[in-house]
Amino acid sequence: MRRFAAWRLLLHDRSTTAGSVLGVVAIIFLVGQQLAVLFGLFSLMSALVDHSGADIWVVTRDTRDVNSTGSLPVRYVDRLSGLPDIEWVEPLVSGGGSFKRADGKFQPVQIIGLARPRMAGGPWRFAAGGLNALFDYDGGTVDKLDLKVLGYPDLSQVVEVNGRRLRINALTRGIRGFSGTLLFTNEDKAREITGTPRTRCSNILVKVKPGRSIAGVIGQIRAILPEAEPIAAPELARNTRLFYVTDTGIGSSFGFSTLIGALVGVVIIMLTMYTTVLNHQRDYAVLRALGARRHDILVIVLFQSLFVGLIGILIGFLLMAGFLAGVRDTRLPAYMPLWLPPIHAAATLLLCVLGSLLAIRRANRIEPASAFR
Amino acid sequence: MSSLAGSAVLKLDGIVRDFSDGRVTRRVLNRTTLEIMSGEFTVIAGPSGSGKTTLLTIMGLVLKPTEGKILVGGKDVAKYSDDELARTRLARIGFVFQTAGLIPALSALDNILIPRAIQGARVTRELRSRARELLKRFGLEDYAGAMPQQLSTGQQQRIAIARALLGDPPLLLCDEPTSALDVESGKTVLDTLKDLSRETSRGVVMVTHDPRVFPYADRLIKVENGSVVYDTRSSPQGGIQK
Repeated sequence: MRRFAAWRLLLHDRSTTAGSVLGVVAIIFLVGQQLAVLFGLFSLMSALVDHSGADIWVVTRDTRDVNSTGSLPVRYVDRLSGLPDIEWVEPLVSGGGSFKRADGKFQPVQIIGLARPRMAGGPWRFAAGGLNALFDYDGGTVDKLDLKVLGYPDLSQVVEVNGRRLRINALTRGIRGFSGTLLFTNEDKAREITGTPRTRCSNILVKVKPGRSIAGVIGQIRAILPEAEPIAAPELARNTRLFYVTDTGIGSSFGFSTLIGALVGVVIIMLTMYTTVLNHQRDYAVLRALGARRHDILVIVLFQSLFVGLIGILIGFLLMAGFLAGVRDTRLPAYMPLWLPPIHAAATLLLCVLGSLLAIRRANRIEPASAFR
Repeated sequence: MSSLAGSAVLKLDGIVRDFSDGRVTRRVLNRTTLEIMSGEFTVIAGPSGSGKTTLLTIMGLVLKPTEGKILVGGKDVAKYSDDELARTRLARIGFVFQTAGLIPALSALDNILIPRAIQGARVTRELRSRARELLKRFGLEDYAGAMPQQLSTGQQQRIAIARALLGDPPLLLCDEPTSALDVESGKTVLDTLKDLSRETSRGVVMVTHDPRVFPYADRLIKVENGSVVYDTRSSPQGGIQK
């Protein structure tokens, strides 16, 4: 009956209840949208590592994120190939480039050059064409989402990057780097465009044989290549995300806007829940006089905040689903991992209860004697 | 004592109640001693500010006295905790307020039921059936689903009386229940309260300053400046005896 009374009181005060629900929706949507974009950016930051298929990345010692270009001797590839626990080793050549658009303007791109025939670290999702496109000496890919910034080049069109020829043989789908447009090509073409000598490469990708210890192989690599830094792929992905979050201001920016979103929601909930209690002061006083304990009134207010929370969470996540569907296949990175919504919902419900503390405090002070005034 | 009166359902012994605003302390009730008997319709009268509502709220265990004892069922409840007082109120006292005090968000039937379930108890089929019987008794059986704002003030007050009676309390306390009603509705409510006082083992106390209520009283208590000025009972012939 307390639950029923709480529900009926909420329905009776439709406008203030709508205000409280709006507060919860604000938390779910504003905070959820910020988190989705942050996780979208996370996926861009470490996309190359996450999809490389390699267990270990060998990078230069000072490397803090995967998107910074290092320089390692190619002979390391041969030295690593001799280790018994390694299945394959591939060099990766990367560097900056300037893509000349049809209108004569230039667009900065990041060139990723992959070694034949495995093309490890290569594109993993195509809108047109496939990995074979990179076997052609001039062959390369651009992403469908980047067509606009690249001036809508056609498939099979020959374009100029750093003054060198490149034929767009395939279109990738939703593969973008944190620093912008990724342009995949073969190792030779990448060397030609970026001016990387044949004796150097940016990173080395290592695949460990099944059943062998990745940590053990990392130890072996350290022993024979003390000038390089072998890092397990998940660790490099983590380091990359951490670097961007802590060193670029992204973390504080998203943290601040997330906090503001949560704060706006809590303030709205706080004020509207308080108003609801004020509106029903006499009702609560009558109930107290009739035999309700303080605790019973608090249970009613708490149920109200939970009801408001659950309705707001439902509406908020419906809006979030609309947002995620709307930005799908656009340049705005947004991604919500499956584990996030339950945590977000639970945290919001907690904020909702916190938001109702002021109302609970007011309800707790209602004296039954006031029913007689 | 009138021939209709039974045993004491509540006893106040030397009740003092002070109110303080932090600087000045004002004594609103001054060493009041009273017994409320079952089967008796007691009217407490007095001008505004005389302390009659304070007396009623102390009888109703809603306000704690500064000094004195409140005996309910032979036990002094004056020092009970808030929760114990709430439980005692729920079990032994029914209230009818000046305005009906119905919860506007609840239907007439739910308003009658809510005090019984407010401490978390389930609303049983028997309880619901008893609530419907009370509605029928007060001629409101067709209004079970009506919201308070759809009812007249007289109907609302009868719902409030039904609410007070659902737990079958030995004591019914009424705070000027007819003051907001027209003459006809007021008469209906007074007749109802009088009938209720005739039922065995129930005492009815009504606070009022309306002299039209006095003829209904089995016992009339006059309060002025926080003290009982007189406490009289009607004779079997209908006159008031001092």
